[in-house]
Formats: sequence, C-alpha cells, structure tokens
Amino acid sequence: MTSAKLIESPVPGAENAPPAGVLLDGVSKRFDSGRAALDVASLHVPSGSLTVFVGPSGCGKTTALRIVSGLEEPTAGRVLIDGTDVTHAPPGRRGVSMVFQDFALYPHMTVERNISFGLRLAAKHRSESGLDSAEIERRVTQACESLGLTALRRRRPGQLSGGERQRVGLARAIVRRPKVLLLDEPLSALDAQLRQQARAELVRLHRELGNTVVLVTHDQLEALSMATHLVVLSKGHVLQAGSPAEVYRRPQDEFVATFLGSPPMNLATVTVHDTGDRLTAPGLGARLPRPLRGVPAEVRLGWRPGDGTLRHTEAPGLVADGVVDLVEFTGDAMIAQCTGDSGRWAVTVPANDPVPAAGEPVRVHVPAERLHLFDPATGMRLEA
Amino acid sequence: MRVGNAVGRHALLIAAVVLMLLPVVWGLSTSFKPLSTIYDMSPIPWPGSLENYQAALGRYAIGRLLLNTLVMAAGVTVANILVALPAAYALVRFEKARGRGLMLGAVGAALLIPPQALIIPQFLLTTQFGWQGNPIGLIIPQLGTSALAVLLLRDHIRALPPSLIGAAILEGATPLEILWHVVLGLLRPALGAVSILLFINTWNEYLWPLLVMPNPEDTTIQPGLALFTGPENPQYGPLLAAAMLASLPVVTIYVLASRRIADAFLHSGLR
Repeated sequence: MTSAKLIESPVPGAENAPPAGVLLDGVSKRFDSGRAALDVASLHVPSGSLTVFVGPSGCGKTTALRIVSGLEEPTAGRVLIDGTDVTHAPPGRRGVSMVFQDFALYPHMTVERNISFGLRLAAKHRSESGLDSAEIERRVTQACESLGLTALRRRRPGQLSGGERQRVGLARAIVRRPKVLLLDEPLSALDAQLRQQARAELVRLHRELGNTVVLVTHDQLEALSMATHLVVLSKGHVLQAGSPAEVYRRPQDEFVATFLGSPPMNLATVTVHDTGDRLTAPGLGARLPRPLRGVPAEVRLGWRPGDGTLRHTEAPGLVADGVVDLVEFTGDAMIAQCTGDSGRWAVTVPANDPVPAAGEPVRVHVPAERLHLFDPATGMRLEA
Repeated sequence: MRVGNAVGRHALLIAAVVLMLLPVVWGLSTSFKPLSTIYDMSPIPWPGSLENYQAALGRYAIGRLLLNTLVMAAGVTVANILVALPAAYALVRFEKARGRGLMLGAVGAALLIPPQALIIPQFLLTTQFGWQGNPIGLIIPQLGTSALAVLLLRDHIRALPPSLIGAAILEGATPLEILWHVVLGLLRPALGAVSILLFINTWNEYLWPLLVMPNPEDTTIQPGLALFTGPENPQYGPLLAAAMLASLPVVTIYVLASRRIADAFLHSGLR
C-alpha cells in the first residue's frame, strides 16, 4: 500500500546525494515504559560493507537492527536504504532479510521449503512479475550449493545440527537477493568450535555476495575480526564508528577503550605536572614526547596489555611498577595480572620472553605513542 | 513428617478415585447382568449376558443416536475451531490494535456466563430462524463455547517463538498467510488437544439437544438415555448398556489423548 511512496522520495535538503547503504537519521526508539532503547543522531552502514553493531546487552544494537528490518518502528527519525526513505515501508518490501538469533526456521517445513518460502509467497503476490517455479528451484539449488546444504534439502529443521540450521537460516536470507542482509547474533547459538568456522563462512559469503551486511553481536572479538566497519553502541548511543583497526587503536571514549580488547585496556588516574609532559600516580610515571595543553589537572591514562613490555627501555613512555598476582596461559602468550600502588593492571608476555612468577615485582614499559588519555569527567579521548 | 504427609495425601487420593470409579464400575457390571439378577448386590456379573446391549441397539436404536451425537460433536468442534483460531491469532498478532483489550475482556467475560442463562434467548432465536429440529440449530448456538478455545489457542500462539512470525513478516507474508502457513503448522498439537476438549464437552451436552431435537429418533445420545426411564418401570439394564456405549467414545479418546489434553493446559497460562 505504501509502495508508491517507496519508489521516490529522495532525501530533501541533503547537500550531497544520500549515502548508499543504510542510514538511521535521527532515529530514536522509546518503549511504552518510556525507556529510550535507541537514540542516535546518525548511524551509517556503508554500502557493501560488513558492518558490526557491537555493545553490551541493552545497548540498543538489536533495536537498531530491528528498526532497519522494519519489525520495529522508530519513535522518531528516518530510515534510509540506498537513499530511499523506508521508515514506513512494510518489512517485506524493504529489500532486507534477516537471520535470527534462534534461526527462526519453520519446524514443519523441509529445508528447501524453508528456503523457498519467501520466493513462493512473492510469486503468488505478484503473479506476473514474480519468479516462476523453475527460477525458484534454480535459486534454491544455488543457495543450497553455496552453503553445503544440498544433501539436507528434504530434512526438517528438527533433524539438523545447530551449524546446519544456521546455514539454512542464511540460505533462506540470501535466496531473496536482499540489498541488506541483517544478522542478529547469528553465531551465539553455536558452540565455540563451530563459531570460528561459521565466522569465516559469513565473511566468505559477504565477499561473494557483495551486498551490505549488518551483524549484531556482544562479542567484541567477533566484532573486531569480522567487521569492515565497526559501530560501538552503549546505552542507545553510538559511541564510535570506523574501521576495526581505527576504533581499536584510537578509541574515542573510555568505554570503547575498555569494551574492545581482551584483556581490557588498563586504566589509571594520573596527575599532570606543570610542564605538561609528565604524568604520575603512585607506582607509575609517564614521560610524553610533547607536553599536554589545556587538559584537566588529573586525567585517565590507558594502555593495552599487549602494548606493554617487561623489557627495559629508555624511550619516552610509561613505566609502572607492580607485583604479579597471577599468570594466565593463553597459548600464544602469557598474561600477567599485576597489582600496583594505583590499582590493577595486566601485561601480555610474549611466548619467548621470561615469565615472571606470582609474587615477583615487575616493571612494565609502554611506548608513548601507545598511551591513551581520557577526560576523567566526560570519558572522552584527549589528544596529546 | 514428610512420609506421613505423603501417606495421608495418597489415602485421600485413593478414596477420591474409589468414590468416582465405583458408580462407573457398578454400572459396567450391571449392564452385563440379565434382568433376573439385575438387582443383585454381586459386583461380578455372573453368568453374564449381552441381552441389555442387544436391547439397546435393537429396540431403542442407540446406534442412530450415537451417529447423531457424532455429527453434532464433530460439527461443533470444527465450527468452533474455525471461529476460535482466527480470533485467537488476531488477538495476538494485532497486539497494538485499538480496542484489543476490550475484545479480550469480552472473550473472557463470555467464559463467565453460564450456558443455562443463554438457553431462553438461544431457544427463541433458533425458533425464529426456523432451526427447530434442524442440525444447524443444534450446532450453531453451541459456538458460544469457543471462548475457552479462543483463550487456549491465544496462549499457545503467544508461546510461539516471535522470531518465527518476524521471519515470515520479513519475507513479505500477509497476516493471513502467516496464520495459514506458519501458525497453523506450528499449532497442530495444540489444535488437536483443544479439538478433543471441545469434542468431549459437546458429546456430553444434554440440555440443548433436548430442546432443539425433541424427536426421540433425531436427538443425541445424552437426552436419548432418558428414553429408557419411561413413566413405568425404568429399563435399568438397557439404560446402563446404552450409557456404557455412550461413554465409550469419550473414554477411548481420553485414554488415547490424555497426555495431549494435559499438555494443552500445561503449555498455556490457564490451569
């Protein structure tokens, strides 16, 4: 019924052409209880990207995904897909498809009927422009081949393993050739070993199809490893968006800094000395190559465990003393959890370096360019 | 203490079961006794005889009444499901529709109205429609019992994973298509259980068939049983034989499907 509206309605007043991909423009979502689940000024999913929405549970990432799909209507704002306003378009007409967390396979239909369901409906709705049954069959066969489901076509979902179900969910989503493929925590129902494999499978599928994919996850490792574009959300707001390397290397916010990375970034509150190039706190001190200007007297200093080394160095940077509490073996490296006078911190010890014993005092060095500074009041990144 | 409680509870349950089963067992035994021993106090019908069953099926045409009852019960069940399923689905699917709370309240209130209170208006209506002595008049007014079916099915539909419906919406299915292709397929066990409940309830209906189908040959089995208690001597033997025959289908269904019936209630919020 809104199909006429769907066809035109370019973005009015945009200086440049509306961006391809998905754009949530000033979108907010309040639930009946009045709680705002999502409130974003602008959330852009670049066309052709594999964008990951990541954040702790309740951060609004799933709400954002459901608003793109149309299963949820925003309280305010517009949803644009490839420049077309689809805010009020019915979900089935947006050119999006979705893989649900529980895969949402119809248990009473065989694998092939699950996959062809949407195409068969479309054929019935638009009898002249829809696909004929030969074309549907061809597409289903193709989707099954690409996901290794050919042998399972006549089975029912109840007879499939978790990984197979996930692939059926994917096949059902891609067989309609959606402009945007939405994945709601598609790996969380799989066991750890399968997850690794499924991750690679999703990345391969994205490369092959070349369409826009949005994936929602709370697993920051999954997000960092799969995304071509990363969006970090918390409490309904977008905290940072960019390439995974950019977001990891230059977190804009203390929350982003600690949320991404495992073990998380170490943080300590330090005093800035008058000269501006010396930061100190009990048990640690840092020398910066350039003095800080216009920062509060106290700042939050962060460093990633992987950026520290127990080897002695004279280069400018951070030196912190502590006592080893615990050494964790992770396979490729050891993680030493230490306690210093200004709190706990961790450092990664590469496999070939001498490993300190618990109770041993250690001194960690972090090069100055790997230090992060945050405003203690706002949590925002301070540029050195 | 615990053990004492358990023993006490079981004693109570056993007493209740004996109390309920005794008349049934006695009736079953008596139905096999010939006229000469029918007032015996012996619980075992020995020597037994089938003469009561012959009388019930031959002289009193119980077979015909059983068939009538089957048609009525099946008709009411199917009609009720046809009404209740779309109603229950609409109550779930259009959760935000205006007046939904009112509709739901009305369905709930319908449960509270005793069927006896509706007898007179329904009787007047069927008479006006000329449905007296007509199977339609027997079946249609009994759709009033669908309130229970609506509520039971609504609970079952609500318990379906929302992502299944969401997936169908995203694939462009209309609400009716979702009902037909997705909900119906998933709801089969619940539909079976609710149908059985409706069937048994309708099978045991006495008052309405008596009013609409007063003719002894066209009526159903429950009022039909009254045929045996004539003004003179009540025909206890054939009466009990007919009663046993009348409860046989219900008992059979119940034995075969009791698990399902229990599930239908357990899986819904109504208990």
